[in-house]
Amino acid sequence: MKVTLISIPVRDQEKAFKFYTEKLGFIKKKDVPLEGGNRWLTLVSAEWQDGPELLLEPAPNHFEPSKVYQDALMEAGFPYTQFDTENVDADYKLLTKLGVEFSMKPTEMGTVKVAVFNDTCGNNIQLVEEL
Amino acid sequence: MTFYEKELNRIRSIAYSNQGQINTVIGIRNYIENNYDVNLNLDLLSHIQFVSKYHLLRLFKKYYGLTPRQYLIDKRIEKSKEHLINGMSVTETCFAVGFESLGSFSTLFKTKTGKSPTKFQKEQLSRSKLDSEF
Repeated sequence: MKVTLISIPVRDQEKAFKFYTEKLGFIKKKDVPLEGGNRWLTLVSAEWQDGPELLLEPAPNHFEPSKVYQDALMEAGFPYTQFDTENVDADYKLLTKLGVEFSMKPTEMGTVKVAVFNDTCGNNIQLVEEL
Repeated sequence: MTFYEKELNRIRSIAYSNQGQINTVIGIRNYIENNYDVNLNLDLLSHIQFVSKYHLLRLFKKYYGLTPRQYLIDKRIEKSKEHLINGMSVTETCFAVGFESLGSFSTLFKTKTGKSPTKFQKEQLSRSKLDSEF
């Protein structure tokens, strides 16, 4: 078995696609039309294109518990998932300039530095830099 | 402040209260990051941070979740992938990232990535060739 995919629940796939590609710099990997306008839509990191795919999944629109869970995480400020970065401070500056909102500024946590931003699609995402 | 941030602060005050230890392991990690290509061992690393090697081993594992040796191997494999993709030969790559034996490099590479260095390189090079042709 292999781990190749992580899924992120999003309310609007097209909006999520724009945010993750235009603001965060991810690249489209797969875009397969499914029923009812839903898509199997995956992205990869520009700097690691054969790395794991990120699935932008419209689960909260079709499965109520997913929506409830997502809302609860958002309200408490918990990240849905996290991405590695070489430099949290630099990303924080760059993304802030692009209008991305952070609920937590770069903060040291032992051997890592983390920051949390809003992906505008229902999730908090954490950036992590290993110190 | 969000509930999450409060929780982080609470956990930090318990799990990361010893800044001296944290500075020590961060120093060791940075040293490995910058010197992965030479012959590193625990004696050397412990001299750099003025701590006993067994203490260092325990500390590093406590904060990073893996031993300095495991960390070093992962770093070397990651770097060797870059060299192989850039067309460096397997033997050159092996020594460029600090391994001393081709056999142990190939075995480790296969264990970590699922492919031998030669196969990995062939696939990567044929992929970039395909990209330029299509």
